[in-house]
Amino acid sequence: MNHAEQITDATCEIFSSMVMLKVTAKEATKRTKPEFKNSITGMVGLAGTVKGNLLIHLPAPVATSVTTAFLGMDVDCIDDDVCDAVGELANMLAGAVKTALDPSGSDIKLSMPSTVYGESYNLDCLNSGISVLVPFNIEGAEFSVELQLIDG
Amino acid sequence: MEFAQIIKSATEEIFASMIFLDLSCAAPLTSEKEDLGCYVTAMIGLSGDLNAILAIHCPAKVGTAIGGAMLGMEIEEVDDDTKDALGEIANMLAGGLKEAFAIKKLDLLLAIPTTISGNAYKISTPSGSNRILLPFEIEAGRFYVDLKYSLS
Repeated sequence: MNHAEQITDATCEIFSSMVMLKVTAKEATKRTKPEFKNSITGMVGLAGTVKGNLLIHLPAPVATSVTTAFLGMDVDCIDDDVCDAVGELANMLAGAVKTALDPSGSDIKLSMPSTVYGESYNLDCLNSGISVLVPFNIEGAEFSVELQLIDG
Repeated sequence: MEFAQIIKSATEEIFASMIFLDLSCAAPLTSEKEDLGCYVTAMIGLSGDLNAILAIHCPAKVGTAIGGAMLGMEIEEVDDDTKDALGEIANMLAGGLKEAFAIKKLDLLLAIPTTISGNAYKISTPSGSNRILLPFEIEAGRFYVDLKYSLS
C-alpha cells in the first residue's frame, strides 16, 4: 500500500467512526505552497526507524464544523477546544499511519501533538525525503492530510 | 531531571561551537500564553521516555542574525536558509537532550524539524502538558527555547 492509500484509509476510517462526517479523497499531490490563510494545522512527529511528521490542515470554518461534529459542542472560532480536537485528530491519524508503516508496533513512536493556527502562516518541512498530501472533500469544503518521511 | 539546565547547556554549546555568537540566558518564563512577538519558529517532536515538542522561537531579525552567523552569510529576511539553519538548531538541541537522557539510560527518539513563520501564528499543545520556556539574549535581541512535555 502506498502512502497516499495509507493516508486515505486512515482519514476515511477516523472521520466515519469518530467524527461521523463523510469525507472523499481527491488525487494525492505534493504541497507546493508553504502558506496557509485563516487555517489550523495539527501535527504529530514520528520517530524511530522511520522519522517524519503527520499533518492535517483545515481552513478555520472546516475546523470549527469538524470540532462541533467530533466533540458535540458548538464552536464558531478557533479556540482551545478546536486546538485540542485538531491535535487529537492528528494523533489518531498518525496512530493509524504508524500501524500501516510499522505493523509490529515497536519501531515507530509518536511525539506529542501540536497545533499551529492563525490568519496567515508558512509551514516548511526540512530535509524531508517523501512528502505526500491528500486533499479531502467534506460537505462541500476541503481539508488535507500530509505525510513527510525520511528513513531514520 | 533538570530540563532547564540541560536546555541551557545544550543551547550554549551549540552557539559556542556552531554559531559563534555571544549568548546569555535569562530566568525561565512561567506564564502560559504570552505573546512572544516572534516571526519564525523551528520545532521538532520527541518521543520515547519523554513525549515532547522542542521549539526555538525568534523575532525576524534574531532569526536572520542566527542563520547568517551559522551559515557565514548576510541574510536580509527570513528565507529558506534561515529556516534550514533554525531547523538544524532545533534538531541539534533535541540531540543535546537525547545525549543528556542517554547518560541516565533513558531513550529519546527524534522526529524531523518543521518551521513555522509569519506575522500571526499561534502554537498550541494539549492542555495539561508541562512547559519550560527559556529566554536567551544575543546582540540582535531575544529568542526562546521552548520544551513542552509529558512524561510517558
